[in-house]
Amino acid sequence: MKWYRIKAFIVSGVKTTFREKSAIFWIFIWPIILVLMTAYVFIPPSAGQPVTLDLGVVNNDHSKAPFNGTAFIDVLEKIEYNGTKLFNVKIYDNETKLVDDLRKGRLDAGIVIPDGFGENITYTQARLTIYVSGGSIYSIQVNRAVMSEFLHFFSINVGLKKIEMTMKYMNMSYVPANMTTQGPWGNKSFIEFLEEYFKGLVLPVNATIIEETPEALSYRPAIVGWYVLGALGMMMLYSGFLVGAVAVVEEKERGSLERILSTPASETDMLIGKTVAGLVVLTLSSIAIIVTGVFVAGAKITWNPFEITDWLVPLNLILIGLMTIGIGFILSLLSKTSRGASSIATTIGLLLAFTAGIWFPKEWMPGPMRFLADIFPVTWALDTIRDIIVYNIGFNEAIVGTIRNIVVTTLIFMAGIMAYKKVIRKYVEQ
Amino acid sequence: MEELLIVDGVWKKFGDKVVLKNVSLVVHSGEVVGLLGPNGAGKTTLLRIISGVLKPDQGRVSIKGFNPVDSKARALIGFCPQEPGLIADLTGFENMLFYARLQGLDGKSVIKRIKELLEVMGLTKDADRLVRKYSGGMKKKLGLATTLIHDPEILILDEPTTGMDPGVRREVWRIIEEERERGKGILIATHYMEEADALSDRVYIIDQGRIIASGSPEELKSKYAPSSVIIVEFYKQPRDLEGVLQKTGLKYIVDGDKVRIHSSDPDRDVPGIVALIHEEGGTIKTLHVAKPTLEDVFLKLTGRRIE
Ligand SMILES: Nc1ncnc2c1ncn2[C@@H]1O[C@H](COP(=O)(O)OP(=O)(O)O)[C@@H](O)[C@H]1O
Ligand SMILES: [Mg+2]
Repeated sequence: MKWYRIKAFIVSGVKTTFREKSAIFWIFIWPIILVLMTAYVFIPPSAGQPVTLDLGVVNNDHSKAPFNGTAFIDVLEKIEYNGTKLFNVKIYDNETKLVDDLRKGRLDAGIVIPDGFGENITYTQARLTIYVSGGSIYSIQVNRAVMSEFLHFFSINVGLKKIEMTMKYMNMSYVPANMTTQGPWGNKSFIEFLEEYFKGLVLPVNATIIEETPEALSYRPAIVGWYVLGALGMMMLYSGFLVGAVAVVEEKERGSLERILSTPASETDMLIGKTVAGLVVLTLSSIAIIVTGVFVAGAKITWNPFEITDWLVPLNLILIGLMTIGIGFILSLLSKTSRGASSIATTIGLLLAFTAGIWFPKEWMPGPMRFLADIFPVTWALDTIRDIIVYNIGFNEAIVGTIRNIVVTTLIFMAGIMAYKKVIRKYVEQ
Repeated sequence: MEELLIVDGVWKKFGDKVVLKNVSLVVHSGEVVGLLGPNGAGKTTLLRIISGVLKPDQGRVSIKGFNPVDSKARALIGFCPQEPGLIADLTGFENMLFYARLQGLDGKSVIKRIKELLEVMGLTKDADRLVRKYSGGMKKKLGLATTLIHDPEILILDEPTTGMDPGVRREVWRIIEEERERGKGILIATHYMEEADALSDRVYIIDQGRIIASGSPEELKSKYAPSSVIIVEFYKQPRDLEGVLQKTGLKYIVDGDKVRIHSSDPDRDVPGIVALIHEEGGTIKTLHVAKPTLEDVFLKLTGRRIE
């Protein structure tokens, strides 16, 4: 008997939500737009991939040396980084045309190879003129970095090649006999030492730079995964707030509140029914967001039903739903109309989504605002979910966070119930 | 006749304002009881107390022996507020099912009952349309249908035909009468004397939170109103209207630009009244003699019109 009363609220709550265009927009369409924007606009598929520069080259070199301008162009055309060609080489017959195309934005960079380049690089020191296009703040940095990295790398290699050639002709007959008996070369031969010494001239410090970003953030699918959960959290915030904030006032406005209270259904039946209806809608929306995130936006979200840790994810999602609906009940104290309640709910929901570490990582926030993210329990539960499915933390760590989330959810929801009962009394008595 | 509903000495205050003052009434099975009074008299407040939505400050309500907040009492009553509380984004059928489930009913037999009720209300072909698209009259009828879903023994209806066109009003009256035939006890709050007069077996007249008279419409009329009422409407009022009326020696009420004069013998009184009006320079637009209504009862009791 009692179940039918709760079912009445669940069915009507879910049906009316799906029949209201603005609810569909906010609960389903907007978060999916956010996910798609994340994948194609904020973090485009090319992000993190090596870039290919359009490079104009003018070759004025006529030298006969084996490594001349033509050989250099060959290197430029062939060089790859992680399987991607670094340059798209376009040959120009004079510098004026090259500069012209750079100005028009048709090239990212240009190189002018002077006459005598081949001889100079072989015997003395070669010169090159490099142009970098400054199309935007972002592109000038990329273009400059790519060009200087390449030239740095290229010069070192030329230097090492020259040492190798030199050493081919080097033998002990060039060395004064008394020099070989003692010195800092230990048990190496003097010739071997000489080679090391030359290398040190070319490259005094051979530094290896290793980038150590957390695996989760080092590649695109994980970053997109992080934001997909952000979109989900944002939707949960304002939609949960909305469900709670309008629960009583919408019945009041329809005139159904006193009808409902005159039936054997209790305030508690209504509370349970409306909360479950809210959770059903939030779950359907979460599924839509995650499916779009994984299959359209290419997010890395792994969920394995055979891992208990992964079952903490739906549990934490329900906790977020209960928290936001509970806070919604509290927000319903602030407004007398459903329009007022829904604008309060969406405004506060969106503000918190942007400031409390739901959508933007909290590390991006200035200090005092980071405090908001640190104390906002919805962020805790969302971070537990991120920890599990993006960072793959273990069960022991995840269960501690989850238990803390269960405790705060209970407290928030109990405060919500008190607000809900108060709002009903307020509406009935007036 | 079983006493289904007993209201005994109920008081209710909102803030400093006393809205119900020692109200008592009884509804038996198989009768329609009218609660007649002007806007603001306290009818809706009383109905909300009877339905268990509000609690009285003092006094007692018994629904077949149960307190209204008891869920057993709630299963016995069907309460239809003035705004019937329909969900605009659900269809007529879905609204019926919603209220059926709130009563703890679901399943095949309920669907059959819903279809029957929609048929009775003439809403069958609109059952699957959203209530958002219903006219005011259709909503009222659907509201009544949702109230009847669990076949309650006691019907509590607040202004059931307010804002309806006369055709629909007569249909609703017919449905209420059918429920009475089936032995239901029905309490109707209304400010239409015509409605109270046509439907009620007994009427309680309420004014400013107090029951000021009760009885069958006939009893009330014979007790508080004369056998006839002479109603005069003027082109031009006589110079001293009050003086003229006092000279007739009859009870009268000035009601806007009309005058209602209570008379036990219109054949004797009409010529004298006409002569007096002419003497004072008045000219008559219409004059007719009518049977008294509950409005005359109310006028007699309070000196005011009901609307
Ligand atoms: N919740 C309330 N708070 C304050 N005053 C109220 C409230 N409900 C009704 N009233 C007042 O009580 C009086 C009776 O109202 P009501 O019961 O609606 O009368 P009726 O239904 O006969 O028109 C009115 O003066 C109304 O303003
Ligand atoms: Mg009323």
